Amino acid sequence: MELFGFEKETLLDLTVNVIPLGIILFFIAAFAVVSPFGLDPVFSGLQFSLMISMFLLLAVLTYYAGRAVEDAERAEEEHATLDDPDGATELADDDESTEDDAELGSDDEGLPEA
Amino acid sequence: MAVGDLLLTGLMAVLLVGIIAALTRIENWRSYTPLAGGGTATGEDGAVLNREKPAGIIRWLTTVDHKDIGLLYGLYAIIAFAVGGIMATLIRVQLVVPGGAILGANAYNSILTSHGITMLFLFGTPIIAAFANYFIPLLIGADDMAFPRINAIAFWLLPPAALLIWAGFFLAPVTENMIEPAQTAWTMYTPLSAEQTNPGVDLMLLGLHLSGVAATMGAINFIATIFTERGDDVNWANLDIFSWTILTQSALILFAFPLLGSALVMLLMDRNLATTFFAVEGGGPLLWQHLFWFFGHPEVYILVLPPMGLVSLILPKFAGRKLFGFKFVVYSTLAIGVLSFGVWAHHMFSTGMDPRLRASFMAVSLAIAIPSAVKTFNWITTMWNGRLRLTSPMLFCIGFVSNFIIGGVTGVFLAAIPVDLVLHDTYYVVGHFHYIVMGAIAFAVFAGIYYWFPVFTGRMYQRTLGKAHFWLSMIGTNITFFAMLALGYLGMPRRYATYEFDGAIAPLAQVSTYHLLATTGAFILLVGQLIFIWNLLQSWLEGPKIEDGDPWNLERDGMLDKEWEWYDRKLETAITDGGEDETESALTDGGVPEGDASRSDDN
Repeated sequence: MELFGFEKETLLDLTVNVIPLGIILFFIAAFAVVSPFGLDPVFSGLQFSLMISMFLLLAVLTYYAGRAVEDAERAEEEHATLDDPDGATELADDDESTEDDAELGSDDEGLPEA
Repeated sequence: MAVGDLLLTGLMAVLLVGIIAALTRIENWRSYTPLAGGGTATGEDGAVLNREKPAGIIRWLTTVDHKDIGLLYGLYAIIAFAVGGIMATLIRVQLVVPGGAILGANAYNSILTSHGITMLFLFGTPIIAAFANYFIPLLIGADDMAFPRINAIAFWLLPPAALLIWAGFFLAPVTENMIEPAQTAWTMYTPLSAEQTNPGVDLMLLGLHLSGVAATMGAINFIATIFTERGDDVNWANLDIFSWTILTQSALILFAFPLLGSALVMLLMDRNLATTFFAVEGGGPLLWQHLFWFFGHPEVYILVLPPMGLVSLILPKFAGRKLFGFKFVVYSTLAIGVLSFGVWAHHMFSTGMDPRLRASFMAVSLAIAIPSAVKTFNWITTMWNGRLRLTSPMLFCIGFVSNFIIGGVTGVFLAAIPVDLVLHDTYYVVGHFHYIVMGAIAFAVFAGIYYWFPVFTGRMYQRTLGKAHFWLSMIGTNITFFAMLALGYLGMPRRYATYEFDGAIAPLAQVSTYHLLATTGAFILLVGQLIFIWNLLQSWLEGPKIEDGDPWNLERDGMLDKEWEWYDRKLETAITDGGEDETESALTDGGVPEGDASRSDDN
């Protein structure tokens, strides 16, 4: 199932932000229907623009964050498949390579600044 | 008289230069490793010399190494924490009796103001920067921060900021109270702050502005570092949670602190150049509150998001399970970041603003509770059926969750307009936000300090003292701030130096009892923090040395993060200091083993 171009897993992760979006949407609708203090062009305008702008900003940020994470995951998977077509990549390989990264010098002596 | 002053100033200058010169000669500043070959960091061997940092205090004054700057931030923040803590103790002693025990009203107001500003701007933000500076480059596999020199400048703006903020305390005795400490409360509400003629307020505003500039420079640096300096194997999908929270926090700083700076400049102009930004005939006093809280509420999340990141990072390590719903935590962090800019006027519900506007701020305030609650459930679920190890960092993480629930739930009540109108400006609000800033933020900071103590000291802290610190802090926090919640329900207004009110208005005897309880809790807290400082210092100097790059046994659960891998490499490749290890002594003459010559990813 895809929605907005997201896979199901990502959509499930993004539900966490759908809840506050839903709450804001509920209040937008509620205040539109029930308006105990009446409508005023300035204050009602500010009232709705605050809620709508927060809704849009959160929706846009959630979309782009989800996009960035999903794209990174896809790239990671593709990379893993290319490196290791049998899918037999083991963490131990990475560990060994980091062990080889040992470099000269301790913290205290430092190295030339980059 | 003028000649005498000049002479005195000159003598002071000579004395200070002399002290600085003497300090630069001190060699034992943890500044270099004596080499087995007989040379030192400042020795003759040019091949080694080029790779060393200078000796003495000059190293610390000139360093652009992110780890050194992290340590400087840490030292600075701990000193500020001590100053703010002493101020808090004085406040609580004052309120033991209704008439005030030790301070006059002005002195109380000064200390109250400085306590707030010190804890938020000089302890809170810098201690987070300390962790971020030290560990973000390690966690993301970067060589250093994106702009190391800007990083150093950002830190070095802070000491003068502190001096300016505290200037009134130093200057009052020598100027016969012509320049007093600011007495505006940390919110600096106009017209009070605009009309107090005391120049100490101007100095405080300038200091605050400077600290804002420092925070903004740091934030730009973190954003640039996390976006551009990540290692090849670090992407958005596997970026650690602490880096995510620092990234979000930095974005908040970037949008919030410049606004504070602008508002401060406007206030300074109102005070000194007769402008009318916040005067009744101009923008009005409420304009200040809008501008201040547009900064002030994101500031709350600037302070709490990275500690949430610390807990999300540390808690799973001692629960033996990966963080439950990692991505939930990431997305909810981002949600908090955005929504924090749409809730500022919930601090102003009782100002008489339009009810329609109030309602919209209430709606967004209730919405922002959800992402925080999600995180809380994630932490609890991570511990569920986990293999808990109740080490000091873990205890502080659990304490964080517990206190955060109380601080958070009391906050949800305050987000509801009718409740807020009753409890506004009472001790309930003070209790609520202290549960967050002390009970949660400081607890996460302690967890971070204990967790990474081996990395930045090479030693282990004393476990018994660590646990004593936790229990005293936990008990002290809950006694002090729960008593404040009760005081709020009794109607005790905040900020007052005395409370000798008519017993018919409120039950004075009960109020006095709760104040006494709060003070008792504060002393328990004080003892806990003294133990913490003792543990920090003594263990740093004399604690057992760490031999293993995995002192928490994280590898067993597959949770050894990059900073520990780096630390392990550092231990393995450390230059011997006395030639005890034959195999390593070969490294001490400046030689580079084959295959490692091209490596320079020392962090």
